[in-house]
Amino acid sequence: MRIAITAASVRCASGRELVPPTRCWASVDDDALALGIPGVARATVEGDPRFPDDRKGSLAAAALAEIASVPAGARVGLYLGTGLSSLTPAELAIDLYPHIVDGAFDRLAMARDLATDRPSPRRHQPERVTQVLGAALGAVVTETSFSACAAAAQSILQAARAVHRGDVDVAFAGGHDSMLHAIGYLSFVVLGALSPTRGRPFDQQRDGFLIGEGAAMLRLQREADLSSDDRVLGWIVGGGTSVDAYNVTHPHPEGYGAALAMRRALRDADLQPGDIDYVNAHGTGTPVGDQAECLAVHRVLGDVPVSSFKGAVGHTIAAAGAVELALCLGIFPSGVLPGTPGLVTLDPELRAHVLKDPVRAEARHILSNSFGFGGQNCALIVKAP
Amino acid sequence: MPRHVRIIGASLFCPAGIGIFGLGPASPGAVPGFDPIACGVPRKHLKTMTRAVQLGVAGVNAALAVAPGWAEIRPERRGLFVGASPQAGDAEDLAAALAAAGGDPGRFAREGVSLIPPLWLVKGLSNNVLGYASAQHDLRGDNGNWCDGQLGGAIALAQAVHAIAEGRVDLAIAGGADALLGAESVVGGPCAEGAAFIVLVAGERGDAVVTAGIPSEDGVEEGFGALGAAAVPVAWVRSWLTDRRADVGGVRGAWSS
Repeated sequence: MRIAITAASVRCASGRELVPPTRCWASVDDDALALGIPGVARATVEGDPRFPDDRKGSLAAAALAEIASVPAGARVGLYLGTGLSSLTPAELAIDLYPHIVDGAFDRLAMARDLATDRPSPRRHQPERVTQVLGAALGAVVTETSFSACAAAAQSILQAARAVHRGDVDVAFAGGHDSMLHAIGYLSFVVLGALSPTRGRPFDQQRDGFLIGEGAAMLRLQREADLSSDDRVLGWIVGGGTSVDAYNVTHPHPEGYGAALAMRRALRDADLQPGDIDYVNAHGTGTPVGDQAECLAVHRVLGDVPVSSFKGAVGHTIAAAGAVELALCLGIFPSGVLPGTPGLVTLDPELRAHVLKDPVRAEARHILSNSFGFGGQNCALIVKAP
Repeated sequence: MPRHVRIIGASLFCPAGIGIFGLGPASPGAVPGFDPIACGVPRKHLKTMTRAVQLGVAGVNAALAVAPGWAEIRPERRGLFVGASPQAGDAEDLAAALAAAGGDPGRFAREGVSLIPPLWLVKGLSNNVLGYASAQHDLRGDNGNWCDGQLGGAIALAQAVHAIAEGRVDLAIAGGADALLGAESVVGGPCAEGAAFIVLVAGERGDAVVTAGIPSEDGVEEGFGALGAAAVPVAWVRSWLTDRRADVGGVRGAWSS
């Protein structure tokens, strides 16, 4: 497979530039602070009138608008990874609070109010953003991947395969998510997944992730269809998915599924482990997750340089695979492999060549990992233009 | 060169019944007699599964139960492709915490959070059918989970066909599950629940052949009302079991021997 990335856009805490982040972009949010979360990584985006009270929809719309030109007559597909951010503060206020009486939840009253007062809540329609944006593009195919934190990476891989097969001529692929609201924070607080201090992947003191939000979109085309005006930012040359088949909330402790996805990506790209110059890790900063990923990377790819962006832009959940791949595209022209913002003291127990600081080196092939609850894993390989 | 794809198993849970009993007239409602434990859903996981997830895991179990030889295929070559709807964590699980908070985020943090079941988020994961069923049957291969309303089940079927044809897996289980009962006021019409899965393997010329085009909602049976992500798989399997051929949701199957 050799699919050209002819345009890319990103919206995340570090801004809109397609360059790896170099510092932490955390800010303070009152709702998060009240729940004991010291920082969130918020993106800047104007609300899109098509998606009221839905930051993830606005983020996707803004990212797509930047790159949405389509060659005349091309068959277009839109492949979007989305996430759990379906219950916004406004919906919470409207749907739930008024229906709690004396500590009990009146479900019938809520259903009655929904039927009479309001349209269907968005949480029943995760595909709505894909449909609205797909219709604007004139897309003949729309797919909404909902694979937890692997969703965007899986969408990009499915889009690349669809272009390769000839299902579509141009694919817009990526992901969007925002859980920067009370219920979003809460979801991870009750699981104990968020850091009570700050995001620091691979650190000896790591204690959870910094939560972020964002969106990123790529435009994918076949090499044979490129015009002289097209500028190639990178080539998607392979990808692989797997399932841990172990536990829906915990990764396999030795990173079995992660390793399997990376091996499949290598095979798909017809590459050897030594061909990979840099790994953009999933690297959330959770004690178990980082350890499992480092084991897997070392087992499959040896001492390849590894770093994570999540200490800087936060974990953008379902968008992570797209946001981080888009930021990786800036590595090719820079001649610099990025470090790991937030990392202070590398955990000596981790068996991987983790980059704390940026190093000057060329990258020809980059592998990007995304792993999700449910045990879904996805690895993508992108080649320099 | 793409490989031929053949079907070796199927399951059906719909308001008309389970298995071949599900071939009766389509009507809205619940799956009669559905017992997740009897359908092989692990008792220890029931509390963290919504009804739709229970139906989905049961659907995978039933499809594999009638598929000969699947267990001989290596786990790394077994794929699972699912259409699902978001399973918003049960709102009732939040009620005590919200009541304790009285709308004050600070009180919510101090007094409310500890009243929420820790696995509230986990119960709400939309890819729980995939997560639980893959762990139960050691399905470690290529995979995907789509939440696209009725289209989700069609995408799952089509992607499974591609995965076999392109040699990424040697076994693909594909289908969808949903449970929309109780959502009538939201959906604006009658609703149903159900699940259906098919089991695909690489075949030889002359076998029953399955091919995939662009996923669509074509062929969905309106008689069930809203069946969500299960709509296309249920219609596909009912068509297949009835006529040994199906052309639903952009996925075509024909018995050619």
